[in-house]
Amino acid sequence: MIEQITIKNFKSFKDVTLKLGPLNIFIGANASGKSNFFDALRVLQGIGYGFTLPEILDGKPKSVTSEVWEGIRGGSTKVPFASEDVSKPTMFQVAGKLPSGGDDGFEYTVAFSSAEGCFREECLSLSGGKVYEAEGRKRLPLGRIHFYDKPFGGWGDADQDRPVLTQIAHDVERMVARTLADMQRIDPLPSLLRTYSQAYEIKRMGEHGENFAALIRVICSDPATKEAYLSWLRELRPRDVDDVGVLKGAIGEPMVMMKERGREWPAPTLSDGTLRFAAIAAAFFQPDMPGILTIEEIEDGIHASRLRLLVELLRSRTADGKTQVIVTTHSPIVLAWLKPEEYATTFYCKRDEETGESRIIPLNEIPRFNEIVSRQPISDLFAEGWMETAL
Amino acid sequence: MSFRVLVIPEDPTYNGYILKPIVKRMLSELDKPNAYVKVLDSPKLNGYPHAVSAIRRDLVDRYKHLFDLWLFLPDGDRASNLEALESELAGQGVHLFCCAAVPEVEAWLLAGHRDKLSLFWGDVRQHRHLKEDIFEPFLAQFGESRSPGGGRERLVREALANYRGLLSVCSELAELEGRLRTFLAQST
Repeated sequence: MIEQITIKNFKSFKDVTLKLGPLNIFIGANASGKSNFFDALRVLQGIGYGFTLPEILDGKPKSVTSEVWEGIRGGSTKVPFASEDVSKPTMFQVAGKLPSGGDDGFEYTVAFSSAEGCFREECLSLSGGKVYEAEGRKRLPLGRIHFYDKPFGGWGDADQDRPVLTQIAHDVERMVARTLADMQRIDPLPSLLRTYSQAYEIKRMGEHGENFAALIRVICSDPATKEAYLSWLRELRPRDVDDVGVLKGAIGEPMVMMKERGREWPAPTLSDGTLRFAAIAAAFFQPDMPGILTIEEIEDGIHASRLRLLVELLRSRTADGKTQVIVTTHSPIVLAWLKPEEYATTFYCKRDEETGESRIIPLNEIPRFNEIVSRQPISDLFAEGWMETAL
Repeated sequence: MSFRVLVIPEDPTYNGYILKPIVKRMLSELDKPNAYVKVLDSPKLNGYPHAVSAIRRDLVDRYKHLFDLWLFLPDGDRASNLEALESELAGQGVHLFCCAAVPEVEAWLLAGHRDKLSLFWGDVRQHRHLKEDIFEPFLAQFGESRSPGGGRERLVREALANYRGLLSVCSELAELEGRLRTFLAQST
């Protein structure tokens, strides 16, 4: 779980620091920086995977050893903050807890130059003690590492185009890399959700809902899990959904089906909104849950009167702290269903008109927000642009 | 056209999972099994004062013509002057029945699971922090954290398996059923 993140000189961020919680909601006008924050997370995920910097930023084609990796929007040329010197490095600092649990907190700092395509600095600490520091050397392919931890203490070399974090095979580095890599973006496309799955059994669904039917098949294989999943669909459509399952194609490949009032409705006949909600709910029942789940514009295709359910789904499935959820929304109704204690991890993004710099502020730190929201509906404040004006 | 009932909780976040099955069952017992029951969740009410204010101001215009009966079912710990509220709404042509849960709405769910509680039922009904001290640990043990409402709806359905027993230990619900019976008899 990532507890704090600092981003410097990256896209529209000059210097922002956020404290994250189990459920994090990003709001703000179009082009205010929400998606740039998600790009920052994607860079960290690429670092966790151990890709080269050009691969992380510009993409990596499918190979025999890896699936396609999409670069960030705009690629490497649009990485530095617009008004900064292009040679100035971009920096990320991440603090969090390792998935193994316990009190071991890590802090990982990485600085890189998108123009040069190489990492400049890295530092990893665990429970306050430094594990290693690395710095680049100009015009040389190898950077220098100073290991602090025993018995590996001493100096070493590392490729500069890859993160040092994944070039070291020690347990701590592996766990931190896994924490960064273990993110899943969910952006279900109804056209994909309606198709047969290529796989029969999966542990995770694809970003756009690939193998959705295989996931439903796995969920339905355990009666208790199926009942819990089905209960969300029943709440979405209280008078309709009796059952959920899969139909089989010519070679046994699965396709999602819902039973409504005793009649089977295959996925191609279900509405976009129903399928999208079903896929988002299914993402919370994956056998291999990611450490971080991100969903942009979570309310897409879901009726306003059902957004309560969506917020409850996010809240309840993050309560155990095992999966951290980061979403964006443009819906005032989603905000209306938040609890006051969730305002600390609901972030308003605002872009400065003159400098182009994005600021991200927790709602409870907006001047006078706490006082006014106790009297006025938060949905009205958001819809009428009060937060933007207050910043 | 089916009988239409608007259920108004003081906070719809989780209360709806408890209230809707109870109201539907009660109506079913009163020969209205096909009644349409809507739990008001928009505007989202935030506690007793907000709910009373909404009932007085916003809801009449929106919902008076859409429902045959309104049920306001708040927690009993803060509820007061409910008869006056009913009279006030009656003056505006709204049939409103108020029924405050003793001490909180969660008690109606717990009433069907008394054998699983470590306290005497009389002590439960008088507990000042029922939600935090009794209900939440109960839900954590017997609910289903992966389901909507944490499994409240299933637990209420189980409680309703002994509907008469539920009413016998929650006198306010028995009283509400009596009022509904009279109302329905007069309406037909």
